[in-house]
Amino acid sequence: MAERCSIHVHTEHDIVRARQVGRHIAKQMGFGTIVQSRITTAISELARNIFLYAGTGTITIEQIRQGKKIGLRVIAEDEGPGIPDIRKAMEDGYSTSGGLGAGLPGVKRLMDYFLIDSVPHRGTKVTVVKWRD
Amino acid sequence: MSRRHLKKKYEELLLAFLRLGAEDQLYSAQQLGKWFLRQNVAPEDIIDFHLAALEHHVELSGPVRASFQLLTEVMIEYGIAYREHLFLRDKQQQLESEIEVAVTMQHTLLPEELPAPSALDIGMISVPCKKMSGDYYNFLVRDDHTLGIAVADIVGKGIPAAMSMSMIKYAMDGLSGCAAFPAEMLCHLNRVVERNIDPSMFITMVYGAYDLQEHRFRYAVAGHEPGFWYRSCRKELYDLEGSGLALGLQCDSTYEEYELQLEQGDLIILFTDGVTERKVGNHFLRRTELKALIMELIDLPCQEIVDSLYRKLLNLSNHELPDDHTMIAIRRTK
Amino acid sequence: MNVVIDTKQVKDGSVLYVRGEIDAYTAPLVSKQLLPLVTATDSKTVSIDLRHVSYMDSTGVGMLIGALKASKQSGCQLVLENVTPRIQRLFRITGLSKIIPVKPLGGEED
Repeated sequence: MAERCSIHVHTEHDIVRARQVGRHIAKQMGFGTIVQSRITTAISELARNIFLYAGTGTITIEQIRQGKKIGLRVIAEDEGPGIPDIRKAMEDGYSTSGGLGAGLPGVKRLMDYFLIDSVPHRGTKVTVVKWRD
Repeated sequence: MSRRHLKKKYEELLLAFLRLGAEDQLYSAQQLGKWFLRQNVAPEDIIDFHLAALEHHVELSGPVRASFQLLTEVMIEYGIAYREHLFLRDKQQQLESEIEVAVTMQHTLLPEELPAPSALDIGMISVPCKKMSGDYYNFLVRDDHTLGIAVADIVGKGIPAAMSMSMIKYAMDGLSGCAAFPAEMLCHLNRVVERNIDPSMFITMVYGAYDLQEHRFRYAVAGHEPGFWYRSCRKELYDLEGSGLALGLQCDSTYEEYELQLEQGDLIILFTDGVTERKVGNHFLRRTELKALIMELIDLPCQEIVDSLYRKLLNLSNHELPDDHTMIAIRRTK
Repeated sequence: MNVVIDTKQVKDGSVLYVRGEIDAYTAPLVSKQLLPLVTATDSKTVSIDLRHVSYMDSTGVGMLIGALKASKQSGCQLVLENVTPRIQRLFRITGLSKIIPVKPLGGEED
C-alpha cells in the first residue's frame, strides 16, 4: 500500500504542513516517536531550504519497498539557484552557526540514505530515505 | 541575550505547545533550538528551562521533578562535549586561515592562464580534494611551434606533497631547453626528484611536446595513469599508450618516447588518477565507464568536456572527492 | 581505513601479512612494522603477502618505495606476494613491478 503525498512549498506554513504529513506517514508506518521526530526534522530542513533559497518547490513523501525492507522516502525538489559548491555545503561544522549553510550534513546524519543533485541556475533535488527496522 | 530572556522564550513556546499541541510549535521549537545554539546555550541549561517552565504552570509530582536531576547529570556530559566541539571548531577555523595563506602561495606555482594557440582548443580543470593540491600541471611555450604540456601527481598527501610542487616547477622552468624532448625532460626531472624528496614520496607525470606546425604530439610517461586520445574521423577513443618508471624511484631511470599524429578534430585527454580512482556506487570506476562518459561529451568544446565530466563524476561518487582531480583536453581545431 | 598486520619469522627473514586497506591513513602503520624487519641485521628476505589487501592507493606504493630504499641500504631483499589484479595494475603503471619482485595471486611472475 503505497502512501504518497506531495506538498508544494512556498510559505513557512507549507514547511509546517510538510512536517505534519511526514510525521503522520512515519507514525502510520510504525516508526518510533524519536525516529518520527528525526524524520520530521529532516523534512523541516529540506523544506526550509526550498523556502529560503529557491522560493518555491515540492516535498514528496512516500512509503517505499526494497526487498523485505520498507522505508520512508522524501524527495525535495526545486528549480532554484542550485548549490554552486556541493562539497562545501556538505562540510560539517557550520550547519548551526548564524544560519550559514543549509543543514545538509545534519539531514544526512538523521537519515539512512542521502543523495543530492544540484545544478547552478537549474535547481536542486535531494532524496533521503529512512528504513524501518 | 540574557539567560532570563532565553528562559522566557522557552517557557512561552512550551506553554503554547501544551495548549495547542500543533506542529507549528514543534517547528518553532526547531528554530528555537538553532537560535539557542547560536547563543551557546548548553544542553543542561535547556533542561533547566524546561523544568522551570513546567513548575510555573503544571502540577509536578515528586518523582517527575526528581527525575530531572538524573537527566541533568547525563546532559552535562553532552554539554561538555558540545563545548569541546565549539573549541575545536574555532581551532579549525584558525588552521584554515593559515592554510589559506599556503594555498595562495601554491597558486603562484601553477599557470595563471591557459595557452591559446590558434590551432588548438584547450580545456583544463584541477580541483584539490583538500585545500592543498598534490596535482601539478604546466604549459611550456618554447617557441611559436612547440607547446610543452605536463600533468603530474605528487604522491604523498597534503602539505609536504604540495611543497614538492615548487621543486618540480622550478626544475621544469630551468629545463625549458628540453621542452621539445620529453624523454630527456623526464630523465632530468627524475634525477632532481630522486635526490630531493623523502624516500616514500614520488611523482607520476606525463610530459608531451605538441608541435603546432606538424600537429605531432611526442610524449613520455613516468608511472602515470594512461590518458586517452580521440580519432575524430573514426569516432573512437583510444588509450594513450606508454609507460615508464615514476619519478623519484631510481636515480638513473630512462624513458621511451611515443608519438601521435593528430588530424583535425582529434583530441588528447590527460588526467591524474584522482579522475580514475573513484568509487561509484559500490565499485571502482572502470576505464570503460570513464571512456563512455567522455564519449558522451566528446563533441563539446574542451573546457565544457572537462567541466561536465568533473560534475558527472562528482554526482556518481556521491559528492566525495577522494583525491585531487585534474584533467586537460586538447583538440586540434585547424 | 582498517588494516591488520601479522608477522611471521622464517629462515633468514620474515613474512608480513597485511589485511585491509593501505592508504594515506594506514600506510604509516604498515611502514612502522615493515621498516624494522627490513633493516634488521640478520634479515635476508622480507616478503609482504598482499592477498587480503582490498585496496591500495599510490600512498601505499610510496610506503613500499620507502621500504625498498631502506632494504637496499641494509642488503635485504624485499618481495611482494599474492598481489591481486587491481593492485598489480597500480604496480605496473607506476613501474614498481620493475624494481621490486612482484608475484601475482595465482603464481606466475609478471
